[in-house]
Amino acid sequence: MGNMNKLAAVAQIKWLCMSQNTAVVIGPFMVIGMVWGFKILYSNFGPNGELIPVMMAMLLNLGVTMNICINGFLMVGTAIAEEKEKHTLRVLMTSSVTGMQYFIGSILYPFVLTVVINFAILWVSGIEMGQVSVPVFFLVSVIASLISCVIGMIVGICASTQMNANLIGYPLMMVFMMVPILGNLSEGLRRISGFLFTGVVTQMTDCFANGAEYKMEALDIAVLFGELIISVLVFLVMYRRNGYEKD
Amino acid sequence: MEQNELLQLSHISKRYKTELALKDINMELHPGEILGFLGPSGAGKTTTIKIITGQLRQTSGEARILGTDSANIDASIYERIGVVSDDSGIYEKMTVWQNLNMFAKIWRVPRTRVEEVLRLVDLSEHSKKQAGKLSKGQKQRLVLARAVLHKPRILFLDEPTSGLDPTTAVEIHKMLLDLKKEGMAIFLTTHNMEEATKLCDNVALLYQGEIVEFGSPQELCLKYNRDKKYQILLDDRKEIILEQTPENIRKIAEWMEKDQIQCIHSCEPTLESVFLQVTGKTLNAW
Repeated sequence: MGNMNKLAAVAQIKWLCMSQNTAVVIGPFMVIGMVWGFKILYSNFGPNGELIPVMMAMLLNLGVTMNICINGFLMVGTAIAEEKEKHTLRVLMTSSVTGMQYFIGSILYPFVLTVVINFAILWVSGIEMGQVSVPVFFLVSVIASLISCVIGMIVGICASTQMNANLIGYPLMMVFMMVPILGNLSEGLRRISGFLFTGVVTQMTDCFANGAEYKMEALDIAVLFGELIISVLVFLVMYRRNGYEKD
Repeated sequence: MEQNELLQLSHISKRYKTELALKDINMELHPGEILGFLGPSGAGKTTTIKIITGQLRQTSGEARILGTDSANIDASIYERIGVVSDDSGIYEKMTVWQNLNMFAKIWRVPRTRVEEVLRLVDLSEHSKKQAGKLSKGQKQRLVLARAVLHKPRILFLDEPTSGLDPTTAVEIHKMLLDLKKEGMAIFLTTHNMEEATKLCDNVALLYQGEIVEFGSPQELCLKYNRDKKYQILLDDRKEIILEQTPENIRKIAEWMEKDQIQCIHSCEPTLESVFLQVTGKTLNAW
């Protein structure tokens, strides 16, 4: 019971901090706004103002991968860096909160928000819901969001300031977001994309946009769970070495 | 270890690569006692607190806190101790109330205690104010309020009045003395010798990672009062300093008989001059 109290308190602190940080709050809205804006723009290319499948695929890829990367890498990473910058992280860690409680409390809201916004993106994009396998979309969204939040925690451990977190987070975001998106243009990038968790997300949304059935292959499962395990292991190694903050 | 000892350090040393930061530190802390760690910046004060509170591992020796070896403590120890470092932050975008209420939830402290602590630090009327808009002194009082919210048995204070104006520092001193009366043990690090003299039951003078002198401020000052002198202000506004010699004693007695002395003070050394005598360095030399 005591542990749940602490976890709830940490999650509440993180939520209050994130919701009061304009730069962080603007991210999810920007993604939804961008999807809505591009939908209107792309509609001009289709018959009767409808999106052609390739445009819908591009729209969903951009929206979903950007949402996953922004909320995970940047929202989580920046929030930890802000706590280091304002000297509140050590206060929290010397208040009987455990590393695990801090970990879960830090990723809880960004994780839920990422999954919810992924569904919001589906709705805003105007895709025919009959083309979407909701359970599969939910499962892939959950795992991909979790991976990005854990990577965000790693960014947070490495960064000492918010600026620093952005410097580390943005290149990561570019790789995980742009490689799958540009995979349609280059065979090499498409191959690399197959080994990225965001690549799996992109393959799935491509299928949904084209009205094809998405079947998760062994490689996709291996990439999703493998990258989740790797990111957790990297986080644990880094945490055990220095904690959240290096002395 | 006796039950009465809340904290016991035995032969603690800490080495960072080539530098020996702490050398053979020994001390004890009891309930209702304020122990001062007095030394210049870099003497090892913060390192000592970090070792005791489990944030840093010592190279050798044993630190026991509330009966547990600090090497074996986990996060739950912080339910029974309070820590204030010189850079303890607050959540500036939250209100004063939220800043305390969040930690009250962590420690399962009732709402009434939050109100009580706000009154204690005289911040009740600012409870709805954004913490970032408080003055420096008010922020420090908020930090202290948070540290004592769960009524810790030991309070660790790392330079609690550093950079504060004298009025706020006096308010904080009063708070600390009130907490001491309630039985809280306080481990205070400071380089302010006046603060240490005023607050501490015992002080350890720390120099280059080593305790070079230990005792109550009065004991130490008297111990180093080797050349006894008296500062006298006479009726004619003449101020003189006399050494304690049979001739001067007779002279003072004669002035007293004739009621010619406006005021007289003994010239025992301050902790600052004791530190200077022991180490050859001043506390503020760094």
